[in-house]
Amino acid sequence: MTSRLCFAFVIFFFAGILILAVYLRSANHRVFYTLRRQTIEQHRLQQELWQKQLRVEALTSPAAVLQRLDQ
Amino acid sequence: MEANDARKSGPTRDASCDKQARRERTRIVVFISFIIVAFVGLGGRCYYLQCVAADHYSELSLDQRCSSLPLEAQRGPILDSRGRVLAASNQIRTVFAEPRAIAEPKETASQLAPILDMGAHEICRLITESRNPGYVALQVDATASRCDAARALYGIGVQSTWRRHYPIGQLASHVVGFTGRENKGLGGIEHRFDTELSGEGVRHAFNVDVHRRPLSYHVPQEGGVIATPTNGSAIILTLDAAIQQFAREELLKQYEKYSAESALAVVADAQTGAILAMVSLPDFDPTNVGRANPDHLLNHVLTDQFEPGSMIKPVVTAIAMDTGVVNKYETIFCEHGNYRGRGFGRIGEFDKGFGDLTVREILVNSSNVGMAKIGQRMGPERLYEGLTLFGFGRRIGFDLPGEAEGLLRHPSTWTGYSITRIPFGQEISVTALQMVRAYCMLANGGRLVRPYLVKALVQPDGSMVDIRPPALRVGYVIKPEISRWVVSEALASVVNEGTGKRAKLEKWQVFGKTGTAQIARSDGRGYEPRAYVTSFICGAPAEDPRVIVLVSVRRPDYAIEKRFTGGGTVASPVAARILERTMTYLEGTDPVKRTVARAAR
Repeated sequence: MTSRLCFAFVIFFFAGILILAVYLRSANHRVFYTLRRQTIEQHRLQQELWQKQLRVEALTSPAAVLQRLDQ
Repeated sequence: MEANDARKSGPTRDASCDKQARRERTRIVVFISFIIVAFVGLGGRCYYLQCVAADHYSELSLDQRCSSLPLEAQRGPILDSRGRVLAASNQIRTVFAEPRAIAEPKETASQLAPILDMGAHEICRLITESRNPGYVALQVDATASRCDAARALYGIGVQSTWRRHYPIGQLASHVVGFTGRENKGLGGIEHRFDTELSGEGVRHAFNVDVHRRPLSYHVPQEGGVIATPTNGSAIILTLDAAIQQFAREELLKQYEKYSAESALAVVADAQTGAILAMVSLPDFDPTNVGRANPDHLLNHVLTDQFEPGSMIKPVVTAIAMDTGVVNKYETIFCEHGNYRGRGFGRIGEFDKGFGDLTVREILVNSSNVGMAKIGQRMGPERLYEGLTLFGFGRRIGFDLPGEAEGLLRHPSTWTGYSITRIPFGQEISVTALQMVRAYCMLANGGRLVRPYLVKALVQPDGSMVDIRPPALRVGYVIKPEISRWVVSEALASVVNEGTGKRAKLEKWQVFGKTGTAQIARSDGRGYEPRAYVTSFICGAPAEDPRVIVLVSVRRPDYAIEKRFTGGGTVASPVAARILERTMTYLEGTDPVKRTVARAAR
């Protein structure tokens, strides 16, 4: 009985190790994909901020300010 | 019976056994041969796949697991002298469809309609009527949430592209220019500095999974470097958007009032030649160039060549005084407005005739006869050399494309008319920029200057490159005391007493000269009737010139005033207003003067 339990434990242990090995093998790719997503998101936010800055520039341009003063 | 049977079965049984054994052996041999052939065949196939067709299958594999992504560089911004953004790029997302991949356009359109907040019919129409089976843009500059929702549908994708923005609109459209479909500069600074502004894009290759998600960079060889895009450099101009606004606003009023064919205004720093404002009307909206009238794309400041008329008189006078031909004390008899002679026809005045006039009075009254006589005294060689030194007859080498060179013929082709006409601005063609340059030289004590528009380049790494033109290592074109006299005495008198009275300002002593030139016929036979270019060029303050302003209006409609009106009526009030606002603005933003004013309070 004991030997059967040991045998089953060993089998499960090796299976677990193999699954973990496969999982770890693809960790690099998962991290890379996550990094790419975050980089693109950061770039998108930078562009959004830049777009808002351009809107501010348009609102504070001399022509726009004079127009509002005239109104 | 049994013995016979026994005798009979012995030898017969052996034969049949042998036969069976042979059959067994044959089967085994055939089977083994078959196995051998099969394995040889497999081996051959393996050899073919691994060696002969290796490249082909490697390529297929690479196509399947590799994906490349072009990364375009961000186009550099264009800034004015105070850092205001005149042009800049930012990335926008476009939701697009691939019509050939969409089996049911109506169904896709109905799913997409609430996401993009567009009509389903419109989306369906765009997909079905697209000429390009691979791409049709559905919504430009879509929000992030719309993009994420839309890309979940089959056949719908999101593309990031750069779009050029012009926050100041058409305020400096001719100076800044515009870009085309592929973000290439097509006019103005955008075209002239297209290489510096463009930067350099790269292409990144990734190893991807079955869903095309990137897993790692694909580097073709060991030790390969992952390149990053190099963004474009920023261009800093000498232009000031506030002064540009003053100039455009004032010029537009006059342009519309007189229904002129075109108008231009230039404001320059008298000491350095830096261009603070450059306006050409009619202008255009750089974000909507496709709908603009092609004639509006011309920058009249650079392309228009016109006879300067009386505006050139102070320059000729300065040359004459510098060469010792005349001095400020002597008088010249102006023939009472009717000067005739062999070889040069008849020269008259615009209004009334004059008797004896000093050089100052010749300029104040803008006497053509006086200038003709000065020209005759100078002679062709001295006059030509002087005008050449002032930069007439050749391009300046300005920072914008399309510059004309004007026209100043060599003295060998001059007639008796030329030596008397050129001094009062006929038989010579100039551009607005050449006139501004000449007056900058008069104003800054006779030193040579070269007008410029671009101050510096800021590279992507943050380093600044000063690209102003180097100080020209030439002495004085005319003596400083002569230029000072011409500006502070003669030209100041033109404004105080003469034809430029409308340009008088209370706070600063203005100096200037009007010019009214006829427009030559296109066939070269004389001048068009009632067609003029009315101009006024001025500066302030006369004792220490800071700014030069030139305003020129082409073909103003005289029906407005019901009488002929020259540069003094049409152009000088505009120039004065531009000058006043510019001087007030510059003094208000001058850090030294602000500190002094604050301390005084």
